[in-house]
Amino acid sequence: MGLEFRRRDYRAEEQSHSLPRVPAESHPLSAPAPRPCPSPSPSTCQVSLLDDGKDDFFDPLRSVNGKMELSANILQHEDIKSDKTVPKEIYAQSQQKEWNSFTKILMQRFPVSKTISISLVASKDMKGSKANEKSSKDSHLEELDDPQKFAEDVKVISQREYVSRLLELKDEIKLAWHADDRVTSLRLSIKVARLLMDTTTVQFYPNLFVLATDIMDLLGDLVWNRIKKRAEFNEDGRFICYLPDNFEAADICYDAKETCNNWFCKIGSVRELLPRIYLELSMLHCWRFLLDHPMDSLQRLVMMIRGIADPLVSAYCRLYLVRCAQRLPQRDTGYLIHCINDLKVQLLRLISARESTSGNFSGNSILLLSLIEPTIEYIIKCLFKDLNQMEIRSMLEALGMRRNQSDSFENCSCISIILHHILKELPLGFLCSNSFEMLHLIECTDDFSFEQCLNYKLLGFRLCERIPEVSNVDLIVEKIVQVISSYNCLDAYLKVVDAYLDIIFENQFETYLNGILDGIFHGAQEDEIGENELASLQSIFLKLLTHFANIEKILALNHFIDILDVMYGSSRNTINMHILSVATRNGCVQDPTVIEVLFEISQALCDGVDFLNIRKDDYQHPAHLISRFVYMVDYGPEVEQHLTFLTECRAAFGSMSVLQETLIHSSNNLAVKSIRDGNNNINFIKSCLAFNEVTIPSIHTHRRQLNLYLETAEVALLGGFVSHSDVLIDAAVNCLRNVEADDGLLVPGDVDGITSLICKLCGIMVMVPGSLEQGVACIPKLVLSILDSQSWMLPRLKIKVSCAIISLSAGLTQNPLPYHASSSEVMGNDKLFFGVPAYPQELLSFSAVILQKIVNIVLEESSMAVRGKLALEACNSIASSFTMSDEMLGVSSKLLEIAKSCLSADDKYLRLTLKLLHME
Amino acid sequence: MSIEIKLSRFNRIYRSNEPLEGKIIMKLTSSISFQSIRLTVSGTVSLQVRGGSAGVVESFYGVIKPIPIVRNKIFEIQSSGKIGSGTTEIPFSVTLKDPKEENREKFYETYHGSNVNIQYLVTVDVVRGYLHKSLSATMEFIIGSEKNNLPLKPVSPEMVFFYITQDTQKHLLLPELKSGGFRVTGKICTQCSLSDPIVGELTVEASAIPVQSIDIHILRVESILFGEKIVTESSLIQTTQIADGDVCRSMKLPIYVILPRLLTCPTIFAGPFSVEFKVTIMITFQSELSKRHSPYDPKTPRQWLAMESVPLELVRTK
Repeated sequence: MGLEFRRRDYRAEEQSHSLPRVPAESHPLSAPAPRPCPSPSPSTCQVSLLDDGKDDFFDPLRSVNGKMELSANILQHEDIKSDKTVPKEIYAQSQQKEWNSFTKILMQRFPVSKTISISLVASKDMKGSKANEKSSKDSHLEELDDPQKFAEDVKVISQREYVSRLLELKDEIKLAWHADDRVTSLRLSIKVARLLMDTTTVQFYPNLFVLATDIMDLLGDLVWNRIKKRAEFNEDGRFICYLPDNFEAADICYDAKETCNNWFCKIGSVRELLPRIYLELSMLHCWRFLLDHPMDSLQRLVMMIRGIADPLVSAYCRLYLVRCAQRLPQRDTGYLIHCINDLKVQLLRLISARESTSGNFSGNSILLLSLIEPTIEYIIKCLFKDLNQMEIRSMLEALGMRRNQSDSFENCSCISIILHHILKELPLGFLCSNSFEMLHLIECTDDFSFEQCLNYKLLGFRLCERIPEVSNVDLIVEKIVQVISSYNCLDAYLKVVDAYLDIIFENQFETYLNGILDGIFHGAQEDEIGENELASLQSIFLKLLTHFANIEKILALNHFIDILDVMYGSSRNTINMHILSVATRNGCVQDPTVIEVLFEISQALCDGVDFLNIRKDDYQHPAHLISRFVYMVDYGPEVEQHLTFLTECRAAFGSMSVLQETLIHSSNNLAVKSIRDGNNNINFIKSCLAFNEVTIPSIHTHRRQLNLYLETAEVALLGGFVSHSDVLIDAAVNCLRNVEADDGLLVPGDVDGITSLICKLCGIMVMVPGSLEQGVACIPKLVLSILDSQSWMLPRLKIKVSCAIISLSAGLTQNPLPYHASSSEVMGNDKLFFGVPAYPQELLSFSAVILQKIVNIVLEESSMAVRGKLALEACNSIASSFTMSDEMLGVSSKLLEIAKSCLSADDKYLRLTLKLLHME
Repeated sequence: MSIEIKLSRFNRIYRSNEPLEGKIIMKLTSSISFQSIRLTVSGTVSLQVRGGSAGVVESFYGVIKPIPIVRNKIFEIQSSGKIGSGTTEIPFSVTLKDPKEENREKFYETYHGSNVNIQYLVTVDVVRGYLHKSLSATMEFIIGSEKNNLPLKPVSPEMVFFYITQDTQKHLLLPELKSGGFRVTGKICTQCSLSDPIVGELTVEASAIPVQSIDIHILRVESILFGEKIVTESSLIQTTQIADGDVCRSMKLPIYVILPRLLTCPTIFAGPFSVEFKVTIMITFQSELSKRHSPYDPKTPRQWLAMESVPLELVRTK
């Protein structure tokens, strides 16, 4: 008995095999409705406890409830204050960490050139400490005779040399200390502290500060440990008592106190003010051995720093003071306020000096300010670390920053740069409830230390974080509009606008908006648009886009497009992308004018992005946005116009293959829509098909072409254009042949994709009328031959394709065919070749060829498990396609043997397959 | 072979009514025999007059006979015996001031000055007969005033206000300084406990010429009765800078000077000598001239300097 296709009744088979279906009530992926919970489960209890704010962790994803956060913050502050609960060591560690990262940033912020000049005095301190083994009294006397002290001679050395010398000094100090030569240690430390008096190279000062204070800290620790040891052990090394972390001065024995006193005496004998202050600061925490409240000493040190006239030196000295004060267990803000006020006086002097001289010194004082700024930042940060609302009020008063009774700021003397950092640190709640007052404060604080508009900007941004709580919004907006209207500089204008835009939106002051946009437009006509302006514009546009989220409204804004046109570069691209994404977010784009604008924007984007020199990922985004826009365009019934639009797009965006694909999908959509509508505008559908036929070849990879050809072929079949579909299928097969020629290696995913496309092709082929002249199995044959020639084809995939082709052949011989093309124009093979014996014959003989090969293909697979599965897959396919016959059984049994040899006997698939075959 | 004295207090400070305690530590390579081990305690005020200030050069230079406070008081710690090799510690405790015996001189506090020195020494001698050299070691110890005789610390130190202007200066000032004018005011304590710092405050109210430095000098004023005359000399003990550079005007700067130990003592008015102290506030103005000179000589008024001196009484308090 020869090979013969099995007769199938697909409908009956489907019905008997499919599972019973029940319509679902809700979407399986939609969120489940909250179930009523009669008693709180333990887990929810815990969550609500956490929400009470005991935990200082604030989850940004939780609902933005301003009050909640505030109370949590206050709780957190209280936590720090009653820091009996927080182990002091941990607190100290975190302080240390904070300081370390601060100094690191500080050093990075002011990188120095290779060489630096230092004053001759400092250079004397730098060298030869070892040789100099005189008693401190001698060296003291020697200093008295030092006439070089005020000489302004300068020496240039390399920075590396300087740093390495400092590190050497540090080692020497350690070494001397451990050799019980503490006097030398102290003397070397004084040397290091003295280096801080030298400001010959101001840029190097922050670096010098970090290096020198590191050494000061070392000395402080050494002294601390020594005194502590003295307090814990007597002279003979016998243990006296263990000193707890929170010890009091009364716990310290006389000897230890004497030692401590001695150290302070030694420091006190240093003549120069600055080294004396630094040394005492380094040992500040040692006051605890003598006093229970060392805050008095701190206060005195704050005052002593006033004696340092150099603003840079004194600023850094204050920084070190604040850092050292953190080592004390007590928390106090009084000294910080004094520090800031003193700093203010010095800065005022600097500012007034600058204003009176103007010119030469200005550059210098700006540099100086930038060097001083980090110290201000740090001190103010510390000041706000644990403050509550009430304290803030009195603190601002103490800093001279609060309105007095007479309601004027006449005696308010603040400095922009200090104000800036205070604004940065003030808690949001406070800012929001005192917003107008703060605005006023900024208004009357205008000096060169910091640009006023940046303070406006900062306040605006901070207020935006919690808009609902901002008081007097209307007054604020009014004031800001007034402020910006007086600006001549576009940059400042944009910065302030940018910062307050959200507040303006939030409170529906959109009436102001057109005026502001007018202002921007006119400013942009006059000023040049630089980097700063671009950045602000970008941010403003983003806010506009997010706020309105509706492209028609946005385009209706005053001068929107005009202002957009002054932008360029990457900012422009970013905004263009955002416009596209806003426009396509809410469904189709139908308005022709909007389409036109968006088309222009897309074109600008396309021109703006250098697609050749861009990473693939960066390129993807704009390309996807443009194709999404093209895809979302909808001309409604005006399909012809739509196709014209697609043609324009093809011309404009030829370089983007993602977009080309979209064009094809869109054109297919148009064709299908036209077919569905039944108006059967044959010419139009043909134009769509022709459009695709022309467009597809320009797509880069053959894989994608293959997919698109098949999609278009389906549409052609749907419309009944058999000749078109034949051409398209031929083209598809051609693509398959050339797949290997694509750039780059085929990844497994691609190979699988191609395989399923081949399966899809087989599925389509069921509907395509064949021709006897060419041979009805012509296409499958071609596919098969291509497969054999392709190196990337894996045995696993070959089996899949072979099975698909066997199924196709079996399907084509059925009468009726499993399915037909919906168009009546396309005649199925069942009707076309009804009663033609050559037709099944050809298919059968072709299948026989496959059957012969199939066993060998299976054997090509190296993995045993996979090989077994493949054998079973092939076996099942054969069993369902052919009636029992010797030939068929011959192949099947060979396959089964392979499967048995590869899989375990109780493999389910194997058993089912055996059952299927034996049941016959 | 080594011998040393180790006192019971590491700072070596004893009151005159307290016993002097410690150990004699001997490290011997071989055992020795001795006739006696004895401690000798002595305390003296040594005086010296240098020429110059008194004017008569030839006769003035020289050491004046020291004034004894404790005259080589000998204590026998151990009478003849033998000490084995290795480390031997012999504790001792001796009284400095015999309550029965009226001392001729007061136990002044230890002080190391330039012309006046008050020093206390303890010496150990291990006497080993005629053939052997005796082993000995000497150590200085420091005498502080008896506690129960001391006055209480004043609640607030006595302060004196000062005004320093171009008009208060007796010496020649730079013309620009004289014409431009300056005004530095403040207050400073005039009586000070030795254990406390000298405190006060200072404000630069105005100055036409930038300030370069403001320093506080502590000086000792030592007077010695020499024949019929009193020879007085003052010298610098310590300089403490309180302002570096042209400080902001009208800003109160603190004066805080820790008194150096040993170099200071309670103010003494004895018959043959006296030790007094004074404080000088010195303002150095920026000037081309000043660069060529040492800025720290408080005794010579220069054109770019302005100064004000106040006497300082140092006291020992409880």
